[in-house]
Amino acid sequence: MILVTNTHKDALIAGIQVKEANLTVSDGFKNEMTALIDQDNKYIVVDFEQVIYVDSSFLGALVSALKYAIANKAEIVVAGLNKDVSGLFQLIRLDKAFKIYVSAAEAADNKAQ
Amino acid sequence: MPVSKKILLVDDNPFVLEMMGRALSKEGFYCMKAISATAAMEILTQERPDIILSDYHMPDIDGFAFRQSLIATPEFKDIPFMFLTSEVDNDVMLEGINLEAVDYILKDTPLPVVVSKVNNFLNTVREQHERTLKELSVAAMALNLHSVPQKLPVINGFGVDFWHKSFQNYPGGDFIDFITIDERCTFVVLGDVMGKKWGAWYFSFGFLSYIRAAVRICISEGNFSTKNILQKINAVVYHDPVVNDVLSSLSLLMIDTNKSTITYSGAGDLPLLYYNNAGESLEQVKSSGMLLGLMPNGDFDEITLKLKKGDSLYIFTDGIIDFEGGEGKKTDYNTFTQAIEPYLNKPFADFKNSVFIKEKTAAHIDDCSLIYLQKTS
Repeated sequence: MILVTNTHKDALIAGIQVKEANLTVSDGFKNEMTALIDQDNKYIVVDFEQVIYVDSSFLGALVSALKYAIANKAEIVVAGLNKDVSGLFQLIRLDKAFKIYVSAAEAADNKAQ
Repeated sequence: MPVSKKILLVDDNPFVLEMMGRALSKEGFYCMKAISATAAMEILTQERPDIILSDYHMPDIDGFAFRQSLIATPEFKDIPFMFLTSEVDNDVMLEGINLEAVDYILKDTPLPVVVSKVNNFLNTVREQHERTLKELSVAAMALNLHSVPQKLPVINGFGVDFWHKSFQNYPGGDFIDFITIDERCTFVVLGDVMGKKWGAWYFSFGFLSYIRAAVRICISEGNFSTKNILQKINAVVYHDPVVNDVLSSLSLLMIDTNKSTITYSGAGDLPLLYYNNAGESLEQVKSSGMLLGLMPNGDFDEITLKLKKGDSLYIFTDGIIDFEGGEGKKTDYNTFTQAIEPYLNKPFADFKNSVFIKEKTAAHIDDCSLIYLQKTS
C-alpha cells in the first residue's frame, strides 16, 4: 500500500507513505488511485506531506490518474508539497493542472465550502 | 551494469536476523531486516530488494501466507524469494517450492553455503538480464531505432551540441532530434517520456514519430509556427488511446539562420537557460504549455529570441536538475544554473568534461539530456 486513506468532510485524503516517490512505486500508486476513482470518490486530496522527492515516473502516474479522474467526473487536488516538489510543479506547469493546497486539511475544507 | 545485492531478511527470531544479516553484510549485501511478514510488507512499500529470504514458521502470518500475499501483489510478485527454515517435512518443502520460491534452504545449512546460494542465484539473474539487454539493444540498433541523433547537424552561423546519459545505461524516455528542413530552418527537439528504462524508451519512438510527422506536415502547409506544431502533436496524443496514458514533455525550437532567430514552444518542459553574451547575463526562458496529451488545449505559446554572436541556449530534461544529497534525492534547478555559470564563455566541450557532468554520469538518478545552441557568427 502506497496510499493511506481517510475521509475528512466530503474529501478523501490519500496520503503517500513513501519518502521517495519514484519508479518503484509509480505503478502501484496509479493502480491505487484508479481503484479510489472506481470506488466513486469524487474529490481526492493526494497528500505529499511525507514525500521529499518526486521523479518524472511518479509525476506521470499522478497526471495519468488525473486524466482518469476527469474522464470519471472526479477531481484530484494535491497538498503538502515541500519546497523542491512545489518548485518542480511550477517549473513544468503542473500547477495549472492541479489545485495545490498547503495542507490536506485546507484542501478538504475548500471542498466543504 | 552495477551489481546490486539488496536483500530482505524476514524472521521472527531476532538472533537469526542478526546472524544472517552480519554474514551477508560481510559479503557486500545491503540487508534489510523484518521481524514479521507485516514488517516486511511495510519495508517493501519503501524499498525494493533484489531477493527476499524468509522463514517459514512465524506467528500470525507464516512464510507461506507471506509468499502468497507477495504473489497476489503485482509489484512484489516478481521479486525472487527463498525460504530459509528448519522445516524438513518433504510435503511442506514441496508446497514452498510450488509457491514459485527459487530455493528452499534448511536453517542448519552452513552460513557460507547460504551466502553462496544467494550469490550464485543473483549472479545468474544478472547474467540473464545482461544477455537480454544486449539482445534488445542489438535488435534496436538493427532497426535503426535511436532516440538520440548519431551526428550533429551543420547549421550556418550556429553551433549545436548535446550531452545525453540514460538511466543506469538503459535506453530511456529522453529523446533528442534535429530536423533539418533546408539551409535556413532546423528544428531542435528535446522530449522526456515520463518513466524510465525500456517502457519509456518504446513510447519515446511513438512520440518522436508524431513530432517528425507534425513538423513535416506543418512545413508542407507553409506553417513554421512551433506553437501550431505543438498543438497538432498534442491533439493527436490526447486522442490516441495507445499513447494518451503516457505523458511527455517537449521543447521544440526552430532555428532560422536568415533572421538569426530561435522560436520556441514548450510542453511541460523545464525553462531554458539563455545566455546573453553582451550583457553577460543568464536568464530563464519560460513557456506556458502543459505536458503533451494532458489537456485537449495545451495552452501553448511561442517565444522568439533574436540571438547575437556569442549568445547561447541550454535546453534540458529533469534528470539534469535531480541530485542525490546527504538528505536523499532532491530537485533543484538553481544548482544546475550555478554549475553552468563558470562555463558560459567557454566551449561546451569543457562543460562536458566538468565535475558536474562527471558526477551526473556516476549518479544514475534519471535519464539526463542537455542540448547546447550557440550563435557563432
